[in-house]
Amino acid sequence: MLELKNLYFTVPESEENNVDSRNIIDGINFVFDDGKFYAITGPNGSGKTSLAKLIMGINTVSEGAIIYDGMDISALTITERARAGIAYSLQQPARFKGITFRDLLTIATGIDDENKLLDILKRVGICPLSFLDKEVDAKLSGGEIKKIELATTIAANPKLAIYDEPDTGIDLWTIGPMVNLLKKELAESKTTTIVVSHNRSFLEAADVVIIINSGRIVYSGNLEGAMPLLDDLSVCTYRDSCEGDSDAGCYR
Amino acid sequence: MLDAIDKTLLKTVADLEELPKGAYNIRKNGKLLSRHVSANINIETNADETGIIVKIKPGTKNESVHIPVILSQAGLYDVVYNSFIIGDDAEVTIVAGCGIHCGTSDPEGHAGIHEFKVGKKAKVTYIEKHYASGDGKGRRTLNPTTKVFLAEGAHAEMELTQIAGVDEANRVNEAVLGPGSLLLITERVLTDGDQIAVSTNNIVLSGAGSRANMISRSVMKGNSRQIFYATMDAQNKCFGHIECDAIIMDNGTNETMPSLKAGHPDAELTHEASIGKIANDQLTKLMSLGLTYDQAVNRIIQGFLK
Repeated sequence: MLELKNLYFTVPESEENNVDSRNIIDGINFVFDDGKFYAITGPNGSGKTSLAKLIMGINTVSEGAIIYDGMDISALTITERARAGIAYSLQQPARFKGITFRDLLTIATGIDDENKLLDILKRVGICPLSFLDKEVDAKLSGGEIKKIELATTIAANPKLAIYDEPDTGIDLWTIGPMVNLLKKELAESKTTTIVVSHNRSFLEAADVVIIINSGRIVYSGNLEGAMPLLDDLSVCTYRDSCEGDSDAGCYR
Repeated sequence: MLDAIDKTLLKTVADLEELPKGAYNIRKNGKLLSRHVSANINIETNADETGIIVKIKPGTKNESVHIPVILSQAGLYDVVYNSFIIGDDAEVTIVAGCGIHCGTSDPEGHAGIHEFKVGKKAKVTYIEKHYASGDGKGRRTLNPTTKVFLAEGAHAEMELTQIAGVDEANRVNEAVLGPGSLLLITERVLTDGDQIAVSTNNIVLSGAGSRANMISRSVMKGNSRQIFYATMDAQNKCFGHIECDAIIMDNGTNETMPSLKAGHPDAELTHEASIGKIANDQLTKLMSLGLTYDQAVNRIIQGFLK
């Protein structure tokens, strides 16, 4: 359903490093199958969010192609990709002035009927009724806005849903139900699901765990197979310069 | 009595399809067009015939007054002095507004000077909309002034909106707050083309325990320009907040000058101000829900000015 072909995302580099540009995504090839749950993990700065944004069209592909349902979508706008069935939950959701959760749901679904909106809330489960007329503004807590972001993405009934760190700011009691919700959506609607996360709950729920390091996929497979790689910190970005505990450059 | 242009202007500035129920005073082209008083609300022309005096009886509950002004006569600059005397414990909604239809190249304008005396524990909601339309090239000017005096425990909520089409606006809002009173002002101004809008606000927190919140939302399209001054002058233990946000589109420009003066050690004053283009993450979010770039811009502005 989604194929990444020799995918690059390159940004101009500052002059100090004596190079013109840097590959944030450095030649990724991967096929995402229909109706499967993928968890993408890897160290901070490894390129997880950049990759997710490339798929949604928020970042522009530098080289290579993104094939979705047999069509090269690399040059399509965010809007065109959304209308083709891709939805995206931002790691740091946008905050508005004068736009409510109800407005976002209506934009996502085209529905403004009260009862149907309540049905959506019920289906999504994690947002209480009192959220509906809350403004999606700076007054919301980090957890509240992430719940709204997730609910809006699910409400759009996407064929491919991408969630960038959906658990940030979410309380411990909601992470379990959130994982179950994504699994339920996948089971009922065959939504191909990609979650960028460090949270073990998502890694355990995934059919395929993908580990990204330095803009490349260094592992894809089940969680069991990923564990040695995750455990021995072989994905540490400071490995090359590490001088051990006496002088830990990463300040860990 | 109302022609098609009048009806459109009334609908836009006062949400009126027909003549309203309850008390009203409609002024057209500088003259009284229609007036209706109720048992609790009296409207009379002032002594020098330059405006009206609206008196709300103490204890009046859930009543409203509509006082729209419509202008469609070329070359007219209409100045009106209106007074509102709101009795103790009364609760009332006042809907004002000015619609200008300009069909020629002669200028048209309106200056409404509105003075409110809000009695003890009275609650007033004041809604004012300004709008101009028409194909004429005549300059359309609106220069409203509101002066508000809040007695002990009084509560005033003011929504001041300039929707479209006004070439030049010079607004002045002044308020003096008595003990325990509350003032909420929300001002929304959209300018386009070469329009200019200046808003000057002076809020004096005079009484102990008084509170004021001034919210300003500005959108500048085209080459338009807006200037916003707001001063909270705290003379007692009180709370005041100014929030002014401006969105720049096209080549619009903005100057925002919030000013806080604490003349009492227990005064608490805050302000937040921002000027900038529409945030990228907002556009990205709405586009990822299927809106085009232009639809996303419109939706964000619509919410911002809601």
